[in-house]
Amino acid sequence: MTVTAFPPPPPGSDHDGLRQEVRAFLAEELAGFPPEKRAESWNGFSRDFSRKLAQRGWVGMTFPKEYGGHERSALERYVVSEELLAAGAPVISHWIADRQSGPLILAKGTEEQKRRIVPRIAAGELCFCIGMSEPDSGSDLAATRTVATEVEGGFRVNGTKVWTTYAHVADYMILFCRTGKSDDRHGGMSQFLVDLKGTGNISISPIIDLLGEHHFNQVTFDNTFLPTEALLGQKGEGWSQVMSELAFERSGPERFLSSFALIEELIRLLREGATEAQEAEIGRLSAHLMVLRQMSRSVAGMLNEGKNPSLQAAIVKDLGALFEQDVPRLARSLLSRPAVPGGRDSYAAVLAYTELAVPSFSLRGGTREILRGIIARGLGLR
Amino acid sequence: MESMIFDMAERLLRDHVSHALREDAAAGNCPEALWARIEEAGLHLAMAPEEAGGFGVPAAEALGLVRIAGAHGVPLPLAETLIANALLAQAGLALPGGRLTIAEGEALRLDRRGAGVHASGTLTMVPFARWADRIVTLASLDGASQVLSLPVKGLTLTPAQDLAGMPRDDAAVDLDLGAAEIAPLDMPAGTMRALGALVRSLAMAGALETILDLSVQYANDRVQFGRPIGKFQAIQQYLATMAGETAASRVAAEMAAASHGTPSFALAVAAAKSRTGEAAQTVGALAHQIHGAIGYTQEYALHHFTKRVWSWRDEFGTERDWTRDLGRAALSSPQATFWHFITDSTARGATA
Ligand SMILES: Cc1cc2nc3c(=O)[nH]c(=O)nc-3n(C[C@H](O)[C@H](O)[C@H](O)COP(=O)(O)OP(=O)(O)OC[C@H]3O[C@@H](n4cnc5c(N)ncnc54)[C@H](O)[C@@H]3O)c2cc1C
Repeated sequence: MTVTAFPPPPPGSDHDGLRQEVRAFLAEELAGFPPEKRAESWNGFSRDFSRKLAQRGWVGMTFPKEYGGHERSALERYVVSEELLAAGAPVISHWIADRQSGPLILAKGTEEQKRRIVPRIAAGELCFCIGMSEPDSGSDLAATRTVATEVEGGFRVNGTKVWTTYAHVADYMILFCRTGKSDDRHGGMSQFLVDLKGTGNISISPIIDLLGEHHFNQVTFDNTFLPTEALLGQKGEGWSQVMSELAFERSGPERFLSSFALIEELIRLLREGATEAQEAEIGRLSAHLMVLRQMSRSVAGMLNEGKNPSLQAAIVKDLGALFEQDVPRLARSLLSRPAVPGGRDSYAAVLAYTELAVPSFSLRGGTREILRGIIARGLGLR
Repeated sequence: MESMIFDMAERLLRDHVSHALREDAAAGNCPEALWARIEEAGLHLAMAPEEAGGFGVPAAEALGLVRIAGAHGVPLPLAETLIANALLAQAGLALPGGRLTIAEGEALRLDRRGAGVHASGTLTMVPFARWADRIVTLASLDGASQVLSLPVKGLTLTPAQDLAGMPRDDAAVDLDLGAAEIAPLDMPAGTMRALGALVRSLAMAGALETILDLSVQYANDRVQFGRPIGKFQAIQQYLATMAGETAASRVAAEMAAASHGTPSFALAVAAAKSRTGEAAQTVGALAHQIHGAIGYTQEYALHHFTKRVWSWRDEFGTERDWTRDLGRAALSSPQATFWHFITDSTARGATA
């Protein structure tokens, strides 16, 4: 059964030395960083932190040295990623670029694009956002309406993207849009590298989420001119390019560690004394976490070998979301302590934040239902 | 070597373990002919070192045979014989040949009698005891752990069975042990249970793959409302859920197998047995839902596998036993944070 095949991660992938270095760095950098900030997990934004991390060589780790990278393995990158997430470090400023945009540019970009952009990603200087979803195109990405029309020297773009996380601070967007007509539903799509700071006729307006925070945006392109050099990869190949990004986007430890701050808070309190029933629940949680970690490391191993484990990635994300979404329910079943936004104590604050964050975990990056459709197809349902 | 023995095992079991054979075994008949083939192929000796007459396949790989046997619902103590032979060899005892089984030996009492040792007590729900020649277990004598090889002929059995109709007999022990039947082997308390839990996890992982395969095939074949039921999204969501649970089970079981002989073994087994046991619940229930009434019959293959996983999850520690142990370790761990506990308990040896 190929879908369920998760080969063990390669030998020696614990990288203990590296792990200890990262821990020491985080202990120093995040000293005094409060649990309720850590609860934001990979949604926390700090350019400063991303730059410092890059100075240690921990951004763009897998990129070629030629482009400012460090040519380390996907498993080494995995170790750094999970240590950052477990500590609740504010990583989003470089996260998307490091995870998927950088690898995409390296795989599909022109030499000029690679030289211009990738070293700055590896330096932790560039924040990327993803311009896929639209008002009428969510799960159904092929329903994209935003269109780039070829003109002298480039393209004119018209259309609206929504839910674009951190577009208001990002330097670049990878824009997915239509560049032509095609009988194939997936044809006629392309990707662009959009310089958000240096391009006119783009308006970015906030969408406030239910936590009262501004992460999301609506991004409108109004006859926006993009030069030919902004095209990323082949014109018309946008669909297959996006699909090859998904294994990177869906399989990492951020797909099961988003609630980790709450887990640490919960365990801190239970260490003061736990019943057998509480122990058993923590044991179940531990078992799930150990297994998810191994599955995610397995996918990292496959990515390292240049494979495209997109089905395994869908499985990791589906199981991972179930796990991280269940944490507030579990906490509430083990301790009778209410959630208080902003906090009476750190547990109450972290519970409140996490409880409100979890509904998004099975939406962002592909909904649960869509992932399961992908898995079902992979099983060979005719 | 390793893939040779796998291919051979896969072929042998595919050709010779049929629905009829599983039915006949569940009716109480030991499949002697199948055992003869397994012995001829030497599958039961894979894990024992070459000096002892085994194949010396590394444990993590030899244990892959247990998963394959689980996938075929082999109604014989193959996993048990593998483990028993490996333990006997480790303790320097000669391999006795024949079918062996394993049991948790904590309930046994060992007393010195003259120059020898007397064993007494009752072993409960011993897998395949009445079809086995010997029961291998660990018990302690003067605080030192010992491997015992008990001749079934010298025991009093009270027959019972598991959900799948496989023998799970109580064995009353009251005998003097011969020189070839006891030897010291330094093993931590709970080793027998952990080894048993390991093989049951692997067998569950294999059986769950079969249950998933049967379900996918049925969803493609069964037509209602003019199309295969696999076209309905509700059924697809079930199958995707089963695939996730099945994949997690295999990863969990293989992680435990890979940690055999390392300090993380006990925790990896705890994770594996509880994770696969939980999956057995979900996958089994959804498989029956997808199959409709045909899956609820004796005639269709599914029940042999669902009954097996539902039995195996109870043996050598239930999910509740193992999650309690794992949770207790997490909560009492000297590591500063839970995260450190998690990385340490999966590190070193948990990769192949
Ligand atoms: C926190 C967060 C951050 C995000 N960041 C970004 C970003 O940076 N960039 C970006 O482009 N997008 C982003 N998104 C958008 C995200 O990709 C979409 O929310 C997602 O693709 C679903 O689209 P939708 O919200 O329009 O829901 P819909 O597609 O309208 O779905 C609504 C419901 O219908 C179900 N459904 C839809 N189609 C089917 C089907 N065929 N079968 C069964 N059920 C179906 C869905 O599973 C869901 O339950 C973000 C979303 C969230 C929540």
